[in-house]
Amino acid sequence: MLHSKTLLGEGIFAGFPMKKLFPILLVLVIAAGSLHPLHADNPPKKIALSDFPAAAVEEVVVPVPSEIFAVLDKLGNPNWKAQLRNGKAQTPEDRAHTALLLGNVIAEGFVAVEAEDAERVKELGRQVLTLAEAINVRKSVIARSKSITDKADQRDWRGVRAEFDGALQDVRGAMQELNDQDLSQLVSLGGWLRGTEVLTSIVQAGFSKDGAELLHQPELVNYFDRCISAMSPRLRKNPLVANIREVLRQIGPMVGARGGITPENVKSIHELTSGVDHQIVNGGN
Amino acid sequence: MNDVSSAPLRSTARSATLRLLVAAVLLGVTAPSLLRATVDDALSFAYEAALPYYKQGFSIRKDAWGGDLGVKDKKAVSSQLFKGNDYWFLMATDVKGASLSVHIYDDQGNLVEAESWQKGRFAGARVNPKATGTFFAIVQILKSPEERTPWALVYGYK
Repeated sequence: MLHSKTLLGEGIFAGFPMKKLFPILLVLVIAAGSLHPLHADNPPKKIALSDFPAAAVEEVVVPVPSEIFAVLDKLGNPNWKAQLRNGKAQTPEDRAHTALLLGNVIAEGFVAVEAEDAERVKELGRQVLTLAEAINVRKSVIARSKSITDKADQRDWRGVRAEFDGALQDVRGAMQELNDQDLSQLVSLGGWLRGTEVLTSIVQAGFSKDGAELLHQPELVNYFDRCISAMSPRLRKNPLVANIREVLRQIGPMVGARGGITPENVKSIHELTSGVDHQIVNGGN
Repeated sequence: MNDVSSAPLRSTARSATLRLLVAAVLLGVTAPSLLRATVDDALSFAYEAALPYYKQGFSIRKDAWGGDLGVKDKKAVSSQLFKGNDYWFLMATDVKGASLSVHIYDDQGNLVEAESWQKGRFAGARVNPKATGTFFAIVQILKSPEERTPWALVYGYK
C-alpha cells in the first residue's frame, strides 16, 4: 500500500508531504542549474602581445588618484591633511591652462577625500564648476558639483570619490563632443601630475620599495608624451604644455628603471611634478 | 517620343540619385551616432555586470573602453594597474545571443588573472597584480548573430 501512503520529507522539509515537495524540489533543481551559469573558457597561459597590431590595442585609461591612494592606505597611514593644498586657484585666461588646472583641482578633490575634509571637498567641488564654466563645459558638471557637496555633508567618502571620477569623465566627454580632444587629454594630464606629486611626497616621507613601485608607470608617461605630440602645433608651443612635455621626458626613464625606483628618483620626480603643479595653480612659466 | 518618355525617366533617375545621396548623407551622419548608441547600450550592460562587485566594495571607474568587433576578433586593452589593489574587469555587449570573453595578461604576455567567468553577453576577470605596471585585458567576441558586435569594458578596484 505504498502508493497510498503519503511520503514525508526529512531534514528542513520534515513534515512536508512528498507529493507537495516534489514540484518544489524540481523548481529548486532547475533554479540551481540556472544559478550556476558562470563558465570560464580556457585562455592560453601565454600570448605574444606583438601579434596585436597597433590598431588592435586600446590606449590606456588614466587611473584616478584614488586608485593609487588606496594602495598607500594599505601600506601605512599617510598624513593626508599635510598633503592638502591651501587657497583657491585663479581661473586662467588660457584654455589649455584651464584644462590642466581643472584636472589638477579634481585630483586635489581626491586628496581632500582621503583627508576627510568635508569643507575643502565642497570648496573644490565649486572650483570644478567655475573652471568647467571657463571652458564651456559647465553644464556637464552641475549635477556632479551638487552631489559632491551633498555627499561631503553626509561624509559619504566613497560617494564623493565616485562623483569626482564622474566629474572627470563628464568634463572629458563634453570636451570630446566639442571636438576638444586635446583639452580633454590636458585635463587627465593635470590630474596625473597632481596625483604623482602627492604620491611622491608620501613615498618620500617613509620610503619603501612597495610605495616607490607605485611610480612604475612608464606606459602612462609615454602615453601622455604621445598625446602632446599629437596636439595642434599651437598647443604644443604653449609654454606650460611645452614645459610639461619636458618634465614627462625627464620622468620617463626614472619610472621605467629596471631594478626599482630609488629614493633619489622619487625625490626628483617630486621636485619636477611639484614645480609644474605650482605653475598650473599659480601661473607663470 | 524618346524625349517625352525619357524626361520622366531622367526625373526618376534624378530623384533616385537624390534619394540615394540623401540616404548616404543621413547614413554617414547617423551611423557613428548609431554605433555610439549601441556601444553606450553595451556600456550599460557592463555597468550592470559590475554592480555585484560595487556591492562588494569595489569602486567602479566611470572611464571605460568600447567599440565593435567581428566574431573571433580580439583587442588588447592596455591598463595601468597597481600592486596592492584588487581589480575586476567586466565586459558586456547588448547583442542578444552573443558571447564574449575577457582575460588579463601582463606586459610579457603571461596570463595573470586570479579568476575569470563568462556568461553569454557578460564576462569578467579578476587580477591582483604581483607588480605595478602595464597590463592587457584581451577582449574577444566568441560568437554573435551580428557581423560586428558592440562591446564595452569597465573596471573596478579596491
